Amino acid sequence: MGERAAEENDQAGRASGQSRVAQWVRDYSRLPGIPDEFLGPDGAPRAVWSRFLDAFGALAPDEIERRFAMADRHLREAGVTYRAPGDAADRTWPLSHLPLLIDEADWRQLTAGIKQRAELLELVLRDIYGEGRLVAEGALPAAAIAGSAEYLRPVCGVPPPGGRYLSIYAADVGRGPDGRWWVLGDRTQAPSGAGYALENRLVLSRAFSDLYKSMKVPRVAPFFEAFRDSLRATADRDEPRIGVLSPGSFSETYFEHATLARYLGFLLVEGDDLAVSDNRVHIRTVAGLKRLDVLLRRVDSNSLDPLELDASSRLGVPGLIDVLRKDGVVVANMPGSGVLEARALLGFLPALSRRLLGEELKMPHIATWWCGQRSARDEVLSRLDEVAIGGAYRRGVPGFDSNGPVLASELDASGRRRLVDSINGRGMDYVGQEVVRLSTMPVWEQGQLTPRPFVLRVFAAATADGWTIMPGGFCRIAERADARAVSMGDGARAADVWVVSDKQVQAATLLPATDKVRIRRIAGVLPSRAADNLFWLGRYLERAEATLRLVRALSSPSGPNKGTSATMQSIERIQRMLVSWGAISQASRAAPGRIAAEALQGAERPGSALSLVRASQRTATSLRERLSPDAWQVITEMAERLAYEVEDDDSVLSAAELTLQELASFAGLAQENMNRAAGWRFLDIGRRAERAINTTRFARQFAYDEACDEDLDILLTLVDSQITYRSRYLLAPILAPVRDLAVLDGYNPRSVAFQVTMLNEHIAALPSLKEHGLIERPQRLAVAVQAMLATAEAEKLEVKTLFALEQDLLSLAEAIGLHYFPHGPNASRPEKLTGLA
Amino acid sequence: MIYDIRHVTTYEYESAVSFARCTLRLEPRSGGGQELISHNVEIRPRPAERNVRRDFFGTLTESVVIEAAHRTLRIDSRSRVSVSRQTPPRDAASLSWEGIRDLAFEATSLGPSSPVGYVFASPLVPVLRPVSAYAEASFAPETGILAGAVNLMHRIRTEFRYDPKATAISTPLDEVFDKRHGVCQDFAHVMIAGLRGLGLPAAYVSGYLRTIPLPGRPRLQGADATHAWVSLWCGAELGWVDLDPTNDLLVANDHIVLGVGRDFSDVSPVDGIIVGSPKQKLGVAVDVLLVE
Repeated sequence: MGERAAEENDQAGRASGQSRVAQWVRDYSRLPGIPDEFLGPDGAPRAVWSRFLDAFGALAPDEIERRFAMADRHLREAGVTYRAPGDAADRTWPLSHLPLLIDEADWRQLTAGIKQRAELLELVLRDIYGEGRLVAEGALPAAAIAGSAEYLRPVCGVPPPGGRYLSIYAADVGRGPDGRWWVLGDRTQAPSGAGYALENRLVLSRAFSDLYKSMKVPRVAPFFEAFRDSLRATADRDEPRIGVLSPGSFSETYFEHATLARYLGFLLVEGDDLAVSDNRVHIRTVAGLKRLDVLLRRVDSNSLDPLELDASSRLGVPGLIDVLRKDGVVVANMPGSGVLEARALLGFLPALSRRLLGEELKMPHIATWWCGQRSARDEVLSRLDEVAIGGAYRRGVPGFDSNGPVLASELDASGRRRLVDSINGRGMDYVGQEVVRLSTMPVWEQGQLTPRPFVLRVFAAATADGWTIMPGGFCRIAERADARAVSMGDGARAADVWVVSDKQVQAATLLPATDKVRIRRIAGVLPSRAADNLFWLGRYLERAEATLRLVRALSSPSGPNKGTSATMQSIERIQRMLVSWGAISQASRAAPGRIAAEALQGAERPGSALSLVRASQRTATSLRERLSPDAWQVITEMAERLAYEVEDDDSVLSAAELTLQELASFAGLAQENMNRAAGWRFLDIGRRAERAINTTRFARQFAYDEACDEDLDILLTLVDSQITYRSRYLLAPILAPVRDLAVLDGYNPRSVAFQVTMLNEHIAALPSLKEHGLIERPQRLAVAVQAMLATAEAEKLEVKTLFALEQDLLSLAEAIGLHYFPHGPNASRPEKLTGLA
Repeated sequence: MIYDIRHVTTYEYESAVSFARCTLRLEPRSGGGQELISHNVEIRPRPAERNVRRDFFGTLTESVVIEAAHRTLRIDSRSRVSVSRQTPPRDAASLSWEGIRDLAFEATSLGPSSPVGYVFASPLVPVLRPVSAYAEASFAPETGILAGAVNLMHRIRTEFRYDPKATAISTPLDEVFDKRHGVCQDFAHVMIAGLRGLGLPAAYVSGYLRTIPLPGRPRLQGADATHAWVSLWCGAELGWVDLDPTNDLLVANDHIVLGVGRDFSDVSPVDGIIVGSPKQKLGVAVDVLLVE
C-alpha cells in the first residue's frame, strides 16, 4: 500500500469510527434522573470519554472483538478466579471490557477526601483502643462501639506494633445525584479487591496497550511498591519477612491473596504454617522455624487467635494476640480495626473530623440514621418506605435473612410488622440509610454501550509521608439497571479504572520515577506446607503418567500380537496393576478398550488419570503464587481434556497420548522455568520418588523370572526405553538386559537407579535439620538404596528383591514427608482442649 | 464467711501430647463483697512459661506453655476467700426496666463495668426473637427491673430441666431453649439472651458454690463443679445484682465469683490448645469448704 493510500484508508477508518461513536451515543439509553459517567447532562460525551472513544471507535469492529477475546483468554489462562459463597469450584473472573474513566481533576478531589477519611479513622481507632476520650467526653456513644463484634476487648490498651492501626484502608464510593462522590462504606479490617484491581489492569492494559499508552494512564505499580516499602519499614529489622495470612484455598478471594503475595514478594501463609514461641511469630519452613516480622492479614480479627478470640476458629495462630501485647509482630491492619466498619458510626464522623482534624469532612457519606438514638429512630420509622434498613454493626440485618439491606417496601405485612417491632425493640442494632441512586457507566453489550450502576472501591496505603492512593481501583458493576447493593456474589462484573486527563498533553509528573530494585537471587524461605504441596504435586503428576502409560499399553494397536495367549496374560497383568492402584474397579472382565477408558477417566476411581490430574489441580491451587501461569494452564488443560468423554478405543489412545505430551511439557516448564531453590527440589523429589516406586512395580510385574517376550516388550514401552534397548542390543527383549535398563542402569533417565541418584542429590542440597550431628533419616535411606542399586546384578534381581526395593522406596518417601513437613497429613495439628472445665 | 476452695482440672489423653498452650482464669476476684485471701495454682507437668496479666474484664489470666511430653495434664487450684455480701431482698424496689434500658444504653464508658458492654449479642449468646419474647412475659410495662428479673429467673428454674447429660459446651443456645433443658451455664446464657433481647445489660459470672449447705437448707445444684449465673445492672443505686437461675435465688454468701464477662467464652476457667492427642478425657473436681 502506498503512503497516500494508507492515509486515505486511515481517514476512512477515522470517519467510520466517528460515525460509530455517534451511533453509540445515540443508542445509549440513560436511566432517567440518574447521572451518568459517559454522557453529561447535555447528552454529549464527557471529555475523557470522547478521547477514549475516538481512539476506541477507530478500531474496526472485529478488531475490538479480537481484543476483548484476548482479554478474556488472558484471564482464563492466568486462572484469575474468585469463589462466590457456596461455590465448590472457582469461577472465572467476569471483567467488563471497558474501563471506568475518571477525569484527573475529579480524581484529585476524590483522593483528597479519601486521604482525609483514612487519617480520621486512624485517629478514632487510636482513641477507642487507647485513651477513650471520645467516648468519655460524649463525642462518640459507647454503644456505637460496644455493639460491634469487631470491638476486640483483648487488644484494648495494646499499642499497635509498627505504630499504626491502619496500613491499608479502602472506601466504597459512588457518585450521587448531585454529581459528587459519596462514601458508601468504609473497609478498615482487611480490604479485598486491590489484587483484583491489579489483575484487571494487567489484562486491560495488554489488550488495549496502544490506548492505554496514548492516554497516559498512571500506573498502579508505584502504589503497591509504596505499600510494600511501608510494611517493610514497620518491622524492626532490615530484611523483614512478611506473610500474607490467608484463610486458605477455599476462601472466596484466595486467588487475590496469591496474587498479592507473588506481586509484593511476600510469603503466602495460613494459620497452620505459623507458630508462636519466645514472644514471636514463626513460620514453619523446610529449614525449621523462621521468624516472621509482619503479617498482612486477610483473616478477620475474631478468627486470628483461638486462645483469646473465637475459640472454634482454625484459621489463626494460638497466642498471636499475646505476641502483639509483647510487640513481637506487626499485624496489618491491627486486629480490631474492623470496628470502624460499623454503620452506626457514620453519623458521628463529621463532628469527629472537626474535633480531631479541625476541618470539615471533604467527602459526604450516604445519609445514615442510627436507630439507637431516639430522634433518629423516629425519623426512620416515619420514613420507613424511603430508607433502606441495614445492620448497625455488620453486613446482615439482625432477624432477617438478607445479606444486604432490607427495604420495607418489599416486605409483606407481617415482615413489615416484624421490622418495626425489631427497630422499636432493639433499635441500636439497626440503621436507616438513604436509598441512593448511583451514577451509571457504560458497559459493552453486543456492540453497543449500555448504562449500568457501579460501585468503586478506592484504596489508600499508609506511608511515612502520609496516605497514598492507588490511581485506579476496583470497580464493580451491577447486572441490573437499578441495583442498590452490589456484591460480586450476585454475578456482577468488575472493571478496570483509568484516571485520565482531559487535556491531550499529560503532565510528566504522573509518570512513574525509575524503580530502584535491589538484586535478589533466592526467593526466601520455603514454608513446609508449600513444600508438602509441591512434593505431592510431583507425585500426583507422576502417578498420572504411570496410569496413562498403562492405558496406552492396553489400547495401543501396535502392541504385541493381539489374541495370543501370551498377550492375554500380559493384558491381565496390566489390569491387575490398574486394580491395585485404584484406577479400575475390582472385577472388571470387560474388553481392554473399556478398561482403558475407565482407567483414563473414571471419576470415581481414585487412581484414574482424571482423578490424579484433578488431585494435582487441587494441590496446585494452593501453590498459585509459586507456579507460572503456563504451568497452571497445562494442568487445567489436562483436567479439561480428561473430563471430556471419549467414545472409542482410538480416542482413548489419543487422549492418553496428548495428556502424556502435556505432562512432558509440564516437566519441561518446571525444569526450564522454575527457580533452582528448595521449591523446585521438592517438586522434583515428588516426581522422582513416585517414578522410582512405579518403575520398580513395573519391573516386578513384567520382568519376573519367567517373563515372556510380550511382558518384556511392555516393560520397555512403559519405561519409555524401547529405543535405548534396540540401539544397544539389536535383539528381541531378553530378561537380564531389560531388567538392567529399567532398574539398574544409571545412564537411563527412566531407570530406578537414576531416580535414586537424583533423590540423593536433592536431599544433600536441602537445608539440614541435623539432630545431634547424626545423618538424617531421609538421607540414610536414600544412600542405602543407592548403594544397593549400585552393587546389584541384573541376573540376580529377583521379584523378592524388587519387592524389598519397592518397600524401601516407600519408606524413603514417607521419611521425607515426616522430616520436612512436620505438620503435613502425617503429623498432628493443634487440638482444642475440650469440655466444660 | 471464709471458704477454702480446691478446684482440680485433669485432662487425660489417649496418646502423648507434645505441646500445650493454656489460658487459666482460676483466681477468685476481690470486690463486690468478696476478698481473696490466698491463691495458688500447681500445674503438672511443670510449664516452661507462666505469664500473668489482668484481662479486659479484670480477671487474673495466666498463660501457660507446656513443652514436656505428657499423657495427663493436672491443674490444681487452691484459694481462700472471704465473702460478705449485701443482697437486696427479692422484692426490693427498683427502677422500671425501660428506664434501666435507656440508662444502660447512654453509658459513656466502654470499661468492663459499664452496662453498655452487656446489652449486645456476644459469641455464645445471640439475640433471638423467641428468647426475647419469652423474657418479655416477665417485663410488663413499668415493671421494676429486679421484680422482672426475679420473675424470669423463677420461670427458668421451673420450666427448664436441670440435666447434666443433656448439653455439651458446644450446644447452641437455640437448642437449649427449644428443648428446655441444660446445666447452669445454659440457664445463665438463656436468661442473659432474654434480658439482652429487651435491651437490658446482663453479664455472665463463673464461680463456685459452697459444697455443704447451711443446716436445714437443701444442697444446691452444681455444687461439685464450677458454677455459673447472671449479673444484671439495676441502675446506679442497686448496681450489679447477681441472680442464679439454676437455683432460683439472689446470690448471697454461698457463691464465690471467679470471673465476670459477656458469656462463658470470656471467663472459661481453663482453655487452651494442645498438639498431639485428639482424644481427651476431662475431669473437674471442686470442693468448697467453710472455714469459719
